[in-house]
Amino acid sequence: MVETKKKTVITLICERAVDLDREMDEKGVLKDAPDVRVIKFPCSGMIQPLMVEAALKAGAEGVIVCGCQIGDCYYREGNKMIRERLLGERPPGLKKTVDRRRVVALWLSRLQTKRFISEAKEFVGHLQTLNSITEGK
Amino acid sequence: MVMQKLYTDPLNKVTLWLEHWTNVVATSKYNPFYYHGALPQFYLWVLFLSGLLLFAYYIPTIDNAYASDRLINAWTSVDYITKTIPFGAVFRGIHRYAGDAMVLTILLHIARVWFTDRYRQYRWVQWVSGVVLLLAVLFIGQTGYYLVWDERSLLLTRMTVSAFEALPIIGQPLKEWFINGKEITNLTLSNYLFIHIGLSFTLLFGLWVHYVRMARPVITPPPVVNYVLVAIILGVVAMFPIQSGVMAQLTQTPTTFEIDWFYLWPYWLMTKMSLGFFWLLMIGATALLTAVPWFVRSKPVEAAEVVLTKCTGCSLCDKDCPYEAIEMVPAPAGSRFKLLATVKTYRCSGCGLCVGACAFDAIDLPNLLDSDVTNQIKVAAQ
Repeated sequence: MVETKKKTVITLICERAVDLDREMDEKGVLKDAPDVRVIKFPCSGMIQPLMVEAALKAGAEGVIVCGCQIGDCYYREGNKMIRERLLGERPPGLKKTVDRRRVVALWLSRLQTKRFISEAKEFVGHLQTLNSITEGK
Repeated sequence: MVMQKLYTDPLNKVTLWLEHWTNVVATSKYNPFYYHGALPQFYLWVLFLSGLLLFAYYIPTIDNAYASDRLINAWTSVDYITKTIPFGAVFRGIHRYAGDAMVLTILLHIARVWFTDRYRQYRWVQWVSGVVLLLAVLFIGQTGYYLVWDERSLLLTRMTVSAFEALPIIGQPLKEWFINGKEITNLTLSNYLFIHIGLSFTLLFGLWVHYVRMARPVITPPPVVNYVLVAIILGVVAMFPIQSGVMAQLTQTPTTFEIDWFYLWPYWLMTKMSLGFFWLLMIGATALLTAVPWFVRSKPVEAAEVVLTKCTGCSLCDKDCPYEAIEMVPAPAGSRFKLLATVKTYRCSGCGLCVGACAFDAIDLPNLLDSDVTNQIKVAAQ
């Protein structure tokens, strides 16, 4: 029997958004949700839709994109840009082949750590049900 | 490390906390903190419109303007606006209190950009032009208090004249420019009116400098916020209607006046110290305020770099750059493309928005290559 490796959820996050420094180890693994790996950016606007695709292609279960509250970007417009790109309102967008059910975007201020953890756990749960549905086919 | 230090900054924490709870109440779409720069801009339009109506009836003289039977001068024209014109008192009140509100919202704007560290490095032009705009707004507001020509106006005029006279060399010319001659005459008030209105329009030029390094500046709050801003002003107008003072008489010497702390605080300072010290304090404080962006030692920004062999000249990065830091230039001879992106390094914030905008990996932050990030993602995903 082939042992299925546990898949991860990649979090692409702005370093000025939710404060996760105390919630993760130096490898970027969340303590409360060990499936989730965090990769920081100077601004969520730097996240390319290509990177979301690359994560899913490389075998990630899902991708969380997280920026600051809409309206509060330190670099003025970063979170609005990536939101519009993910929604397909601004080029470059996500490819049509990307499974939208595996991508979630959160806009949370630095103080909303608890909210992030609960949303991340919920997303992991959602991905599990999604897997059981797709495998059941 | 810089980030760590920044977020332990208690002022920033307080700001974040305030904004967080405002978001809980008002949602981020209507959070006034996210329109902090647009609030004074909105009040500027309110001031322009209400001022236009006042201007239609205002008469800038101190003695009888038309040799009429009744005295018609600046004070009586303001009195006419207040008592006879329908809603004149309301418009006068709006003009007065919107001015106060503008200073208040400017202070909020300054506090927010300062406390959240959005004022230095590539933003220094905004800060310095902001200081100039603040001084201009204060001065324009003060000239508004001279225009009504009550006893306070006379006292303020005399105090300003003596303050100018205390300055060496430029003092006398400044005084004569200010009151438009050697003594207070009808020409004085026409000069005040010119300064008040003329300088107000120069604010628009100052604001252009203030905005020029920002793509798509947020200068209009959402309508709901505008309604609230106007409602606040109308509420204050209804609760505290503007009272005219006693008409100024050049033969008399008023000694006290009611102070508007938003605009007239320099006159309060003037009474507390010698005029020489007053000027030193004002000039010193302005110089200090202007120099604020250079108080913190900033790590130089590592500007984005274009990969010349990959750039297709699609100009998506140019459109999305929030600081107008990218310029499309004609591609060098022999290129397959028409245009090439170039980075104005002095405007670049190193935020990486252009990296997110590029579908060809043709622009990079030198300290965080997107190929490295993508590899990191791939390793983490396996």
